[in-house]
Order: sequence, then structure tokens, then C-alpha cells
Amino acid sequence: MMLVPEVLAILILNLIFALFSLIAFVLAVRIFFKWDLNATTKLQYSLEKQSFLTATIIKYIFAIKLPLFLFFIFTLDNISDLLTGAMCAAGVVDATEYGTYLFILKIINIYLFGFWLVLHYLDIKSKELKYTKIKFGFFIIIFLLFLIELILESIMFNSIDIDKMVSCCGTLYSSSATSYISNIFLIQTPILLSLFYGNFLLIVLFYYLKQKELFSLVNLFFIIISLISLILFFGTYIYELPTHHCPFCFLQKDYYYVGYLIYTLLFIGTFNGLIAGFINDKQRVKKAYKFSLVFNLLFLLLVSAYPIIYYIRNGTWL
Amino acid sequence: MIKLENVTKIYEINKEHCVTALENINLEFKEGELIVLKGASGSGKSTILSLIAALSKPTSGEVIVDNNRISKLPDNFAALYRRKNIGFIFQKYNLIPTLSVKDNILLPLVPTNPDEKEALEKLNQVMEKFDISHKQNIIVRNLSGGEQQRVAIARAHINDPKIIIADEPTANLDEKLSLNFIEILKKLKQSNKTIIVATHDPLFFNLDFVDKIIEIKNGTIGDSDK
Repeated sequence: MMLVPEVLAILILNLIFALFSLIAFVLAVRIFFKWDLNATTKLQYSLEKQSFLTATIIKYIFAIKLPLFLFFIFTLDNISDLLTGAMCAAGVVDATEYGTYLFILKIINIYLFGFWLVLHYLDIKSKELKYTKIKFGFFIIIFLLFLIELILESIMFNSIDIDKMVSCCGTLYSSSATSYISNIFLIQTPILLSLFYGNFLLIVLFYYLKQKELFSLVNLFFIIISLISLILFFGTYIYELPTHHCPFCFLQKDYYYVGYLIYTLLFIGTFNGLIAGFINDKQRVKKAYKFSLVFNLLFLLLVSAYPIIYYIRNGTWL
Repeated sequence: MIKLENVTKIYEINKEHCVTALENINLEFKEGELIVLKGASGSGKSTILSLIAALSKPTSGEVIVDNNRISKLPDNFAALYRRKNIGFIFQKYNLIPTLSVKDNILLPLVPTNPDEKEALEKLNQVMEKFDISHKQNIIVRNLSGGEQQRVAIARAHINDPKIIIADEPTANLDEKLSLNFIEILKKLKQSNKTIIVATHDPLFFNLDFVDKIIEIKNGTIGDSDK
């Protein structure tokens, strides 16, 4: 096991998370099965109090989880120095068979926790607490995924072998790689860029048409297309290297940590876009529409700025 | 207007020790009534007040005010309900000692963010009504007990609440000041407020303008007069 301070901090926090989320889970199960707002029994009043406690625990887990995800990436980047062959977080992710699954699961869980928070916000906004049962039912599912994440994370850090040589991001994210990622290199750049900008135009279109389900759907596609575009096209302009396609290296100091900004903008934009399709609260939907459009636009402008500036400075494309 | 239905309130000190403050009580108060809850210390009077004011929730049963199930309100809505409907008068006044009379009275208006002119108008009205205008700029810790009580009443009144709750309001006053307070209560009743006073002060038990006197004994309803 790699017992560097950052990994220790993550593992200790995971233990605390596991304990508190277990408490929240037990209470959530109880609330989910026994909740009856009309009842004036001792049990119901006690559930009402417990629902407040449970929601507070979940909110705090999310409040820590969000910056912890950034810290997790930062840690992977840091410990990449200890692994032979690794140049950035990508090498560490690939160092064990669990890394990729853990990374995907972490992203999914952040979106799910975000959805839970929106549900909670809508719930406490109404006197009737109409989403209480749904939100705790939803948490039961999130808890299971969260538990898998915590276990995977511990296993991943435990199974990293510093004596074993790992692949660097240049090998992992290249057309010659044998992994499934190499398949994305089959996409032609003009097609990819048409999909990327076309998808954004659809976001704008559905924003004006107020088609919330479609708005949500194109935001889901936007996450996938944006990530592929970052790897295949925009990343190369951030590195100013046509052969470098790593989605992690631009999180490093050499690139002014711009990756954190890029991913944060993409997360806020697409998260708001996704929730717009799932909620009925008009005010919240309106806010989600606006947030999604603004942050997706900022993301698009930021990533587009790199090739444009490169072209202005050098008079040629990569 | 105010209904307590099968209300039980148990305070859990720890797993082994519980105190039953109220046991399965049923009460009903009409709008504009002045009700006196009498009983010894620890009989459950203040618990009834805190339940009506949505400061706490029953262990079982229900509190209904104007057809609203206030014991079922989530905390944020309970706060709104209190702000709009309840005026509090406490035994120890609960004023902020370092603020002036007018600042203390204006406090309940702060969360409602009113227009300044409107707020000052309300302030002047209540200060005049409770005869405290001449002390408006004095820091409250420099006032006498009776004056502090009048500030507390003015503060309870400034939001124009439907219900005024007074918990042992005369416990810190001498007889003369207590009688003054009773006069003020009479005025408040005339303005059609529902007033609930929890007290063991005998001065309240023979007043002709009191609509109901309810005795609370060990968390249950004892005798009711009137």
C-alpha cells in the first residue's frame, strides 16, 4: 500500500465517510419504509427529526466529497512521481485494474449526490415534504454505489505496486493503444468538432424552445462529446503537441492547473442541464437552464480559445 | 382556531430517563380569547406554549392553528409561521441589553425587511400604545423591570401577530407593575388578539376579561373555570 500523506488523508476520510454514510443509510431505510406525513404518531415525529439529521449528514458528505474529488486527482498526479513510467494521474489510474472503474464511479457518484441535493432542496421548499420518501429511497441506491467507491478506492491504493512499471499517458491515449480508448481516435476531427459545436447549438436551441427533456438529453451527450473532444482535439492545443492526448496532464502546474477550471465548468454546466429534465419546480428549472447555458458556454469558449490563440500565434493548425 | 388534539410531549433526557410533560391532552381556544394556563412549576404550561408557537413538536398528537397543522411544519416553515403569527412575552423579557428600546422593538421586523418608513410608523404606534416613547433611545439594561416588560410587550406586538404568548409574564414584577401589565393585556384583548398566558400568579385568576382559566396538573388538564 502507498502510505503517502495524501493517500492516508483520503483513506481516513473514507473511514469517516463510511461510518456517517452508514448511519445515514440505516436512517434512510427506516424513513423510506415508514414515512407517513399525515400520521401524528410518535414514530412519525421521530422520523421527521431523523430526516433532518440524515439530510444534514448527506449534505456534509457531499460538501466534502466535491473538493475531495479534486484532491483525489491531485493525489494521483502527485504519486505518479513514485511509479516508474507514470507521467501524470493517467498512469496511476492505469496502474491497477480498478483505477478506471473507480474514476468513472467517482464521477457518476458526484452527479448522483448533486441530484440528491436538488431533490432535497425541492423537498424542503414545500410544506408537504413531497419528495422525502423519494430522496431517501434515492439515497439508498447512492449509498450502495458510494460504498463500492470507498471499497474500490481502498483496494486501488492497496494494490498499487511501486516496483511495477506502468504505462504513461502518451501510450494510454494514443491511436496505437490497445485499450477501448484507442477507438475514439478513429473519429475524424471535422466530424468530432461538428458534433461538439453542433451539440452546443442544440443546447442553445432547446434552451430557447424550453424543451427540458431534450435539453437534458443533449447535455448528457455534451459530457461524452466534450470529454472525447478534449482528448482528441482541444488537449493537443493546451499542450501544443499534436501527439499528446492526455486528459490529466493539463491538471498539472505546467499548464496552470487549467484542467480543474475546464472540468469544473463542464460539471456545473452539464449537471444543471441534466437536472432541468428531472424536476418540475419552475423556478429551479429556469435557474438550471441559465446555469447550464452560461457554464457550458464558458467551457466552450475556454477550450476553443486554445486552438484559436495557437492559430493566431503560429498561423497554422496542429 | 387553536386546537391541541391528543397531544403528548415527552422529553427524553437519556435512554433511561424520560419526563412526560404533557399526556394526551385536548384543548381548543377560539380567536380573540384570553386564556390563562395555571399550574405549578413543571406542570406543562410552558410546553403547551412552545407547542402552539411551533418552538417544539409533540411526541404524538397534533397542534392545529387556523386549520394549519403546525406541528407538522418543517422547521423553515415553522419559523415563518412564528414570525407572522406569534408574539412572545417572556418571564425574563429576553431583550438585548446593549440595544436601545427602539432597536429592541424593531428586532422582529428585521427578517421581514420592511420599508423603513413603514417600520418607523409601526414602531411609533407600538411605543405610544405601551407608553414607552419617551425612553426610545435608552439602552434597555438601564430601564426598570416594568419598563423592560413594556418594551417586551411592544416587541411582541410590532409584527401585529394574531396570537400573543406570555410565559410567567409577571414573575419578575411587583404587584403594582403586575396590575399595569394586566391593564395592558386588557388593551390587547380589545384589539382581538388571542392571548395565552401561562402563570401561577393569583392576580390572573379573578379577572373578568379572562375567557378561560385552565389548570394544568402533571401534564394533564385539571379543572377549567369560566
